[in-house]
Amino acid sequence: MTDIISSRRGWTRGQVLLAFLVLTAAIACGLAIFSSATTLTSLSRTAFSALFMPLLLALVLSFLLQPLVYYVEKLAIGRTVSIFIVYLVVGGGGLVALLWLSPNWESLWTNLGADLPRYAAKFTGYMQEIIGALHDRFPQIESYELASKIQQWTQRVLSATLAHTPGSALKVGGLMILVPLFTFFFLRDGRKILRAAVAMSPNRQFEMIHDLSYLISRQLAQFIRGRILEAFIVGLVIGLGLSLTDIRYAPVLGLFAGVTNLIPYIGPIIGMVPGILIAFVDFGMGGQFWWTVILYVLIAQVLIDNFILIPILISRVSNLHPLLVFFAIIVGGKLYGVVGMIIGVPIVSIIQMTILEVRTYRRTFRLPESALESDRSP
Amino acid sequence: MDPIWSNIFRKTPEKDSLAYFLSQLPLFSELTPKEITLLENLVHVRSYRNHETVFEEGDPGSGMYMIRTGSVCIFSRNPQGAEEELARLGPGDFFGETTLTAPAQRSASARTLEATELVGLFRSDLMEAAQDNPKVASHLLFGLTRVMSERLQAASLELRRLQNLVGEQSSSETVET
Repeated sequence: MTDIISSRRGWTRGQVLLAFLVLTAAIACGLAIFSSATTLTSLSRTAFSALFMPLLLALVLSFLLQPLVYYVEKLAIGRTVSIFIVYLVVGGGGLVALLWLSPNWESLWTNLGADLPRYAAKFTGYMQEIIGALHDRFPQIESYELASKIQQWTQRVLSATLAHTPGSALKVGGLMILVPLFTFFFLRDGRKILRAAVAMSPNRQFEMIHDLSYLISRQLAQFIRGRILEAFIVGLVIGLGLSLTDIRYAPVLGLFAGVTNLIPYIGPIIGMVPGILIAFVDFGMGGQFWWTVILYVLIAQVLIDNFILIPILISRVSNLHPLLVFFAIIVGGKLYGVVGMIIGVPIVSIIQMTILEVRTYRRTFRLPESALESDRSP
Repeated sequence: MDPIWSNIFRKTPEKDSLAYFLSQLPLFSELTPKEITLLENLVHVRSYRNHETVFEEGDPGSGMYMIRTGSVCIFSRNPQGAEEELARLGPGDFFGETTLTAPAQRSASARTLEATELVGLFRSDLMEAAQDNPKVASHLLFGLTRVMSERLQAASLELRRLQNLVGEQSSSETVET
């Protein structure tokens, strides 16, 4: 009977056992490979996450400093010496600017630490007033405890910020050493590194990859320089404009507005929130408040950024679709926190730019070919 | 001298160096030794196997190749797809120079005939040099223009000779009729 069954199914008991064993082994192997792969990726991720930020910042900084280094180098000094000269000049200039902008930087910082809870408390107070007014009009939403929720939330954010400060200070200290070091080597050997990378490509594709790498890196340098210069000017305008008012944190707010201006669409809005909030809490709905609003929205964003800076600095690079910007910010925030939110958008723009450059390159050389074919066909 | 020490201090013989090869080319004959050193960092040395395609007709062209060792066959395909050999080039010759300054498609194909070492000079390198080192770039371009105009002159002379030949033939035909 068993013989009949096995012959009908074409499997002997031994074969079934073998198949079972093979399948089990295959599944086990698959699981093992999968788990080892995930541990490998997580290992490499933890290993490279510490390198990611300094490398990225160094790359950006080297793109910024490159023209200066080349300029100094043209005066017939060696590359290494020119880099040191640029470092000295830029570092000294930055220090002088910092001291000149705010002689009492330290007290400003401690003041800010003391004032932040005050602003938060005042803000929640205002929110409570508004909610009270709302309650009078719409009694049905009384059960919703918005005020206490906001208070809890602000307290949680504040305490988290304070708790993270020592850790981030350590990180910043690490960056202060690593970034100039990496930047130095990028500036000195950047071209050699790129050449070595391109030289690894096969002979048949070498010419195209070499050409594209040149086009993309040139485009990238322009893009990064343009964006940073734009953010710097916007921050400067806001810092100067706010220093005309009685706001105490004009340099800090200008810096914040400049950094957030790196994020398209959403950045400027985030950048103007603290300034407008402080103006509102400190001055009420007076002239200074409205000056702050006009400064942020009309002068910095509309006039300076949209009408002057973007056409001059970033005209060639097409802007990202707003939806893509949101994706980049959300994914960046999920991966690398607040820093990821800031760098997510530039990274996506760089990817987009690369794709566009490759497409234009291919189109440039395809057009005559298709024209030839259309000539031949009749 | 101790063999170990002589080994450490051994330099590549002058004749084998890339700089020597470049300085011997008519294109770069007017460059100073210092400019040759800069050029050395600008070019790309690539090794090809036997019968390896360097580029095909219609490829996007972005630079020229100089033959350091080995040999290269330049050919084009007729409408039937058969290959027609246009030239056979050896060490010291160069090809593809028409695409160096203006982006264009390759007008013919190139393939190696043996294991070959090519030295490539591309438009992007030249543009970078023009930015960082205008003097060297202008010397390079002068050399290139000189060689190109020599070739153009030779070609127009050849064209005139062929025109005359065709004219003579057609006149003799009319005499016959």
